Amino acid sequence: MSERIIEFREALCEAMSEEMRTDQKVFLLGEEVAQYNGAYKISKGMLDEFGPRRVIDTPISESGFSGMAIGAAMRGLRPIVEFMSWSFSLVAADPILNNAAKMLYMSGGQFGCPIVFRGNDGAGGQLGSTHSWCIESLYANVPGLKMAIPYDAYDAKGLLKTAIRDDNPVFFLESERLLSITGHVPEEDYTVPFGQALIRRQGADCTIISFGRPLYFCQEAAIELAKEGIDCEIIDGRTIRPLDIETMVTSVKKTNACVVVDQSWSFASIGSEVASQIHRYCFDDLDNFVHRVHSDDVPTPYASNLEQAYLPNTRKICEAVRGATYNT
Amino acid sequence: MPIEITMPRLSDTMEEGTLLHWYKKVGDVISSGDVLADIETDKATMELQSFDDGIFSKIIVQEGEKVEIGKVIALITEEDESPAQEVSETEPAPTKQDYEQGMTISPIARRLADEYKIDVHNIQGSGPSGRIIKRDILQVVDTTKETSSAAATTKPEEIIQPLVSEPEVVATSHSIVSIAPWRENRSEPLSNMRQIIAKKLVESKQTIPHYQVTMSFDMDPLLEIRATLNKQLVSSGVKLSVNDFLVRCCALAMAEHPAFNASFGGDCIYYHGPVNVGVAIAIPEERGGGLVVGTIRDADQKSLRAISQESARLSNKAKEKGLSMEEMSDSTFTISNLGMFGVEHFTAIINPPNSAILAVGAAVEKPVVRSGELVVGHELSATLSLDHRVIDGAMAARYLKTLKDLIENPASLLV
Repeated sequence: MSERIIEFREALCEAMSEEMRTDQKVFLLGEEVAQYNGAYKISKGMLDEFGPRRVIDTPISESGFSGMAIGAAMRGLRPIVEFMSWSFSLVAADPILNNAAKMLYMSGGQFGCPIVFRGNDGAGGQLGSTHSWCIESLYANVPGLKMAIPYDAYDAKGLLKTAIRDDNPVFFLESERLLSITGHVPEEDYTVPFGQALIRRQGADCTIISFGRPLYFCQEAAIELAKEGIDCEIIDGRTIRPLDIETMVTSVKKTNACVVVDQSWSFASIGSEVASQIHRYCFDDLDNFVHRVHSDDVPTPYASNLEQAYLPNTRKICEAVRGATYNT
Repeated sequence: MPIEITMPRLSDTMEEGTLLHWYKKVGDVISSGDVLADIETDKATMELQSFDDGIFSKIIVQEGEKVEIGKVIALITEEDESPAQEVSETEPAPTKQDYEQGMTISPIARRLADEYKIDVHNIQGSGPSGRIIKRDILQVVDTTKETSSAAATTKPEEIIQPLVSEPEVVATSHSIVSIAPWRENRSEPLSNMRQIIAKKLVESKQTIPHYQVTMSFDMDPLLEIRATLNKQLVSSGVKLSVNDFLVRCCALAMAEHPAFNASFGGDCIYYHGPVNVGVAIAIPEERGGGLVVGTIRDADQKSLRAISQESARLSNKAKEKGLSMEEMSDSTFTISNLGMFGVEHFTAIINPPNSAILAVGAAVEKPVVRSGELVVGHELSATLSLDHRVIDGAMAARYLKTLKDLIENPASLLV
């Protein structure tokens, strides 16, 4: 493990910068990414290093600059599009879903779309209903795209480099709440492959599957549940598309109990998809139905206490694990 | 037209039967009188014979299933019919056990039960609405392990095959199950036998005016003659028990006192011809516990040796396989003996339609007065429970007097 400890946001910056140094086709565009060093200071110093032709400030026009970047990708460049928030990508749904994700198919293989869309996803902390979107369940429904959700600084760098090198459109979901966390990140070039989930905690009694920020709630819940004698295994899916169902299934076959924690709403969600696949592949291994933890089925509240209650928090996860393991 | 084989009524109290074993498989040629299956009724295991000739064409009720009387359990086609179409679909899955409708069990619990060969019908599920869950199965596995390792002769791994590929599962189970399961409140559904015991004995105790009369017997002469006989009988493999002597004594006394070989008939007293002595046999816990009464027929006509052999046979069969209806019916008097457990005195509940039951304690070494002198001797105390509608106190006393004469002068038992 590397001795160096840096912030999540620095790891993202390092991934983009390293790839831009080695591949002239890679460039970054988005609101405030250049002169302001990024709305969240992720692209700090990049304008100075790569200049305004490769680090481009855009107008507040997601649909326009997304479409432009997709055109660039079709012609062979490898753009990175930063959405200040994935909430703002909704106005660019047509280019990113209808064009980027379907281009290879609709052009009969003539045009690919090697592009990365990245930005903050999920409740950032009192941003209100319209700016707290978890878009993973909406967008993962669409074939032709990949989707990654980094958990820590190490994965942030490793997964983002894989995303930039991928020839398909990759939706890269960061969390504003995680940007300042620190972790060991190697200085050298490394990647984290897509479709390889990671067991974040070993346990025997219940498998908890999650992605991104809710994994921290899962860790807290596991500590709490350990006091009650319930030994949780936590799986970080890392990428939603492709989904490493094998690692999840192997774990559930061992524990015979499963809880899926997904920060999006429950109806037709990542959680329902994972649960469905676990039911399919682990049918004879389950002691109870797969329990799910989601954000409550309401628009994200603004009030801090309500927002905390709304999220797939530690309390909800503990309750679900107790339920799944018949320890109520 | 195929012939329908239905669940027969094999005893008066039977309402449903469990299909234990099919002796025939689909396609077998059946002749009238062939044994088709073993059926477990409320108390006995009985053979089901065919009344028809034909080809065994379809199994409808699988082994282990319990169905009501009259329900079709199998089909026989006459030999000129073509059973071909039916045959293909009737082969039962051999390894899976059958689950009753409405019974809920989690998939992993079901799989573990199949792998460990655990009968789930006797398990009370601890999940919601009684769902049987993994923990319930592992508890049974663990209890079985404990029981089997306690028995010094058996290796635990012979009983429990760890079929689950992941050793973690078993390790986990241990940590869960080690939370002393016997401390938890739990309920178990009644077995067929327990239901019958409950029903019959409540009926007996509530409708029969019971009273008890106790007498002590000097056992020294009997024990002496028993020791002598057993020494001589070693080569023939016969070992007479105290109970065998008591069966003969009671039977001879019954022949002399017909009221003890009688039943209360409402408006009459029914005196039985044959003297049939029932012997209460405890069923071991591992076979579900409970007790049955095996019948030694014409006990007054049988020698000690014949009584002993019949008694041993019934006892072994009851414990291993279960008794047939015939082996349990028609007793006219019952002996319940707890002497082998060191019990000195107890009272028993009359086994209807008997009029009396003898509760026998142990032959205990104690100071006794013989010809005015205090000596050490063996004494046995036995208590009659009686149906006052048939037998009055003085009659009971006279019966016990006869019994005492027989027991204390055992040479007469040999002729």
